[in-house]
Amino acid sequence: MLGRRQKREKWILLAPALAVLALITLIPLANTLWLSFTDTRISALPEPVHFIGLENYVYALTDPDFQEALFRTLYFTIVSVGLEGVLGVAVAVLLNQEFRGRTLLRALIILPWAVPTIVNAVAWRLIYHPDYGALNSLLFQLGIISDYRSWIGDPATAMNMVILADVWKNFPLVAYVALAALQTVPEDLSKAAAIEGAGPWKRFCSITLPWIAGPLMVVMVLRTIEAFRVFDIIYVMTGGGPADSTKTASFYVYQEYFNYLRSGSGASYAVLVAGISAVLIVFYYSVTKRQTAGGAA
Amino acid sequence: MRRSLVQSILLYGCALLLAAFTAGPLLWLAVMSISAPTDLTEVPLRWIPSQLDFSRYAALLSLDGGNGERFLSALRNSILTAGGATAAALLLAIPAAYAFSRRQASMVLLFAFLATIMMPPITYVLPLYSTFSSLGLLNHTVTLIIVYTAMLLPFATWLMKANIDVLPVEVEQAAFMEGAGTAYTIRQVVLPLALPAIAATAMLSFLVAWDEFFYALIFTNDLSAKTLPVAIADFSAGRVTDYGVIASVGVLATLPPAILAIAFQKFIVSGLVAGSVKG
Amino acid sequence: MNAAMTQDAILKISSLQKRYGEVNVLKDIDISMAPGEFLVLVGPSGCGKSTLLSCISGLTDISSGTIHIAGRDRTNDEPADRDIAMVFQSYALFPNMSVERNIGFGLEVRKVNEAEKKRKVAEVADLLKIEHLLHRRPAELSGGQRQRVAMGRALVREPKLFLFDEPLSNLDAKLRVTMRTEIKRIHQTTGASIVYVTHDQIEAMTLASRIVVMKDGVVQQIGTPQEIYNKPVNAFVADFMGAPSMNLMTGTATREGEHVRLQIPTPEGPPLELFDYGPGPETLAAGDTAELTIGLRPEAMTDLGLRSGGMDGRTLQSADCLLDVVEPAGADTYAVVQLGGTEAVARLSADAPVAAGQRVPIAFDLSKISYFDIASGNRL
Repeated sequence: MLGRRQKREKWILLAPALAVLALITLIPLANTLWLSFTDTRISALPEPVHFIGLENYVYALTDPDFQEALFRTLYFTIVSVGLEGVLGVAVAVLLNQEFRGRTLLRALIILPWAVPTIVNAVAWRLIYHPDYGALNSLLFQLGIISDYRSWIGDPATAMNMVILADVWKNFPLVAYVALAALQTVPEDLSKAAAIEGAGPWKRFCSITLPWIAGPLMVVMVLRTIEAFRVFDIIYVMTGGGPADSTKTASFYVYQEYFNYLRSGSGASYAVLVAGISAVLIVFYYSVTKRQTAGGAA
Repeated sequence: MRRSLVQSILLYGCALLLAAFTAGPLLWLAVMSISAPTDLTEVPLRWIPSQLDFSRYAALLSLDGGNGERFLSALRNSILTAGGATAAALLLAIPAAYAFSRRQASMVLLFAFLATIMMPPITYVLPLYSTFSSLGLLNHTVTLIIVYTAMLLPFATWLMKANIDVLPVEVEQAAFMEGAGTAYTIRQVVLPLALPAIAATAMLSFLVAWDEFFYALIFTNDLSAKTLPVAIADFSAGRVTDYGVIASVGVLATLPPAILAIAFQKFIVSGLVAGSVKG
Repeated sequence: MNAAMTQDAILKISSLQKRYGEVNVLKDIDISMAPGEFLVLVGPSGCGKSTLLSCISGLTDISSGTIHIAGRDRTNDEPADRDIAMVFQSYALFPNMSVERNIGFGLEVRKVNEAEKKRKVAEVADLLKIEHLLHRRPAELSGGQRQRVAMGRALVREPKLFLFDEPLSNLDAKLRVTMRTEIKRIHQTTGASIVYVTHDQIEAMTLASRIVVMKDGVVQQIGTPQEIYNKPVNAFVADFMGAPSMNLMTGTATREGEHVRLQIPTPEGPPLELFDYGPGPETLAAGDTAELTIGLRPEAMTDLGLRSGGMDGRTLQSADCLLDVVEPAGADTYAVVQLGGTEAVARLSADAPVAAGQRVPIAFDLSKISYFDIASGNRL
């Protein structure tokens, strides 16, 4: 449309937002990048800072603890998001059926989403309590377990219990996106397939799922990006323990920074984690773009 | 299509299961918050409280005593922080969204906006910490407001852009023809039309800020600035021996977002779906 | 166009071009408009008429050329500074404001004092007969009322030039006719200079003092409705203006002494023969024969009943034609005749005793004849 004035105006309109984002994200990002090439430490007294090239990165990439933290993060991310996807779609299919109380149930599942992350973590921590937790009591009274267990005190189960809590909070988002997509599936398509003799499972796999795949993919990738940065729930539920069994990448960097006060080394871990996130974000961009171009949402 | 009896039983069974899975943990949290302390340490648990005990809520909502003061100041800080950041983010997001929607600002730039909040906060936190520390701004509500504004801004811009996109552009052109400047047009013409979108965006932004933990954990350290999530983490990790207190703090912190979410369910769900799927 | 005319022009567009990337949507537009004129831009969709209006308004910037409004170069001015007002196709009323504030918006922006604003709004409301609607919101108005409010908003500022972008296309057929009359009345009362875009050639004919016919970003013809209708510069204009449109028949012309012999082939037998005693196609030399497109409007092909004066053998000539289809249309009856490779339409009287399949004498009015080159379509 209008040339010069609009171009000038565009930047005036954007300027405040750009300034805030530059100050709070871009400059810190550059700063973190710079720190990662130094041996800076957090200390009350000024210490000499040395540029040490890739030394931090060489260390980080050969650090087995960090690798384990990355793998744990990956495990958390894949299992959480995978379960959220399956549960989300299943719930969406259920909520897309006609039954009494459907409206109420649709409203009900917004509650886990609304519960603050920290409250979610605290609540599940109480539920998992080794002595007075509801889970132990419930399973015991149902005769499923014969002894109380220390669900998040045992390295074998801790991560999975954290995942369960995370899934409980986050499946509603996937369910709502899937439900919105389901509501656009043309009924004729399903009816035609039924007349052709396709059973319900076959219809779901060959018609419904491909139809909702686009939006579902987008929200799953978005959840993947979020899950990959997991920190809050770990901090409250397990503090990274027991025996580091829930120590994820973000938590690892947090400790490097604020427990061991090694900001240079911590920054290199942060940059590596950010790099992986960046790949996921670019992937998110491409699926979103394809989705928008496809126009099925 | 008519359902057979088996199908009906299966359907309602699944619905009940889902309802139990969704509501169970929350109900239990609520029950814990009003159970007598001794009920909560029985083995196996006493599911139905022996008596209703609202004393914890009374204690939390009064300034006398440590827990009440901790809770109420955290509540105040959370309201100020989330409210302030929401207002600031909208103030910045609306002109930016207008630039993206009506002034052909590059979509790549918009995506760069979004990418900044998708990055893990650990990417930014240390330089921010150092800067705020050297400015003497640690442990201030205003610090969190600034950081949260940046955190909310991209998503708010995105949602507002999507909503401005669908407004009739001719109405704005008419305003320009009549001699109104861009600022006047946005204020007098665009904003009134976008009011529902602004409300939805404000609500979602508020909820996101209300939920934030990581920055608050690092940038605050006492009653004057700690927000609810940090206070709750403290309660949970601290010397509180009565789990009912932790549960009631949790219930109180959940009430505002839960009420908003239920009351404006359609609004919020459509905002969520649009925000996570549309490009 | 002489120099004095240029000075006085309320709108003068010179060598205007508009490109979107590689696509040239407006090519070398030159238009000059006198004060008080009602200029209608008409053409099929995609011809560039709306883009041209948008360029005049300043909402779209142009690639090259100049736009002068009331003698001042406005090419690079903001829409608001051009001293113009626009009525949009969708009315573009501000939904959150009352009718009164909608109309007064331009004055509000210009910080005109309250009393003055109220007076002017009342004046315009009176002119448009919408005084009783001033406190309503646009959502509470009917289509025609919204249209009036949109015009009120344009009128109240008394700009030099009014731009109308297909303002009637959102109204139903009946209301469209009423509002057309209303717009014409306002033009007559106020003497405003109006540029008006429409795709409806009837609207163009009824409203315009001059019409600009456009196609593919090129101005085809500028002229009064009579000029456009009677002397279209090419086959496109002939075909586009008028309903039903001009019959464009392929035939041959031979200049024989004082007349031109026209032969129009018919599918059923010998060609139809007519003699043009007028000047005929200019390029046709004596004794020459040429194949060309012969244009006759339906009302120049009538039944004998309408021609009480009878045939004079010169401007009015009769010939028998086989009627293919007969379509009674109330006031007239249209009959389709296969002539010169086209389905020529003849406009017969409503009660003409004719039926499909009959051979009927048709009166051809040769005073209204047009000739076009077959290849270029240009008027000969």
